[in-house]
Amino acid sequence: MNIETTQLKRCNIIKLEGRFDSNTAPNMEQALKDSIHSGVFRIVVDMSGVEFFSSAAIRILIMAYKECRRWNRGDVRLAAVPERIAQVLDLAGILTFIETYPDTTLAVGSY
Amino acid sequence: MERSQVGAMEPFELCVSSDLTQLARISEFVAQSARQAGVSEAGVFEIQMATDEACTNSIEHAYSGHTGEVRVCCWVEEGDFVVRVTDFGRRFDPNQVPLPDTSAPLESRDIGGLGLFFMRELTDHVEFSSDAVQGNRVILRKHLPLGR
Repeated sequence: MNIETTQLKRCNIIKLEGRFDSNTAPNMEQALKDSIHSGVFRIVVDMSGVEFFSSAAIRILIMAYKECRRWNRGDVRLAAVPERIAQVLDLAGILTFIETYPDTTLAVGSY
Repeated sequence: MERSQVGAMEPFELCVSSDLTQLARISEFVAQSARQAGVSEAGVFEIQMATDEACTNSIEHAYSGHTGEVRVCCWVEEGDFVVRVTDFGRRFDPNQVPLPDTSAPLESRDIGGLGLFFMRELTDHVEFSSDAVQGNRVILRKHLPLGR
């Protein structure tokens, strides 16, 4: 599991790599909270390297989405979601609501 | 071990302590067993997800911070790849868990119930049982491709 945050003018990119289960989801929560606490509410989550994403990780994604969108101050958008992960997110009814882009350039450009 | 139930594959068993750091190991174990049983790659991912949710429930809810043992056993039976997760913690009643409303906007989404939802949606059959001797058991079944 690896997490890397890149600060851009428009937004932060949080790149997730590897396995996100109940054990590692708190690291992802910390990265999202760090961005929110620093006042950056426009976030792109680069999912290209994600191999596993359990309900614990999905719950954190939903929490960050709610937090960032409060008072219309920002959003959480996904980039490059691998097919299997997309199927799981879709099953959970996430993709209907969270904006998803084929790559990070398009996701960043959407802000 | 229930040898009489075993089909084409010898059963595999993994016993780990009730610690979330063990989830990755469990996932790898289930993936290897499922591949050996002939589960498709998409199916391997689905049974990994379902098993991860069952084991997370055992560790976080049944043992709830106490140390205990989680047993994961895999075998083939009547055309199904079967995973059984056993713990000896607090009894779990799946009927008490409300189903998530996956069509509700995320702002109004209730946060629980997703793990159980995945167990049901990503397998072909889920069964829960509890008794003092055999512990709490979750049995997850995935149909094997025909012709095996």
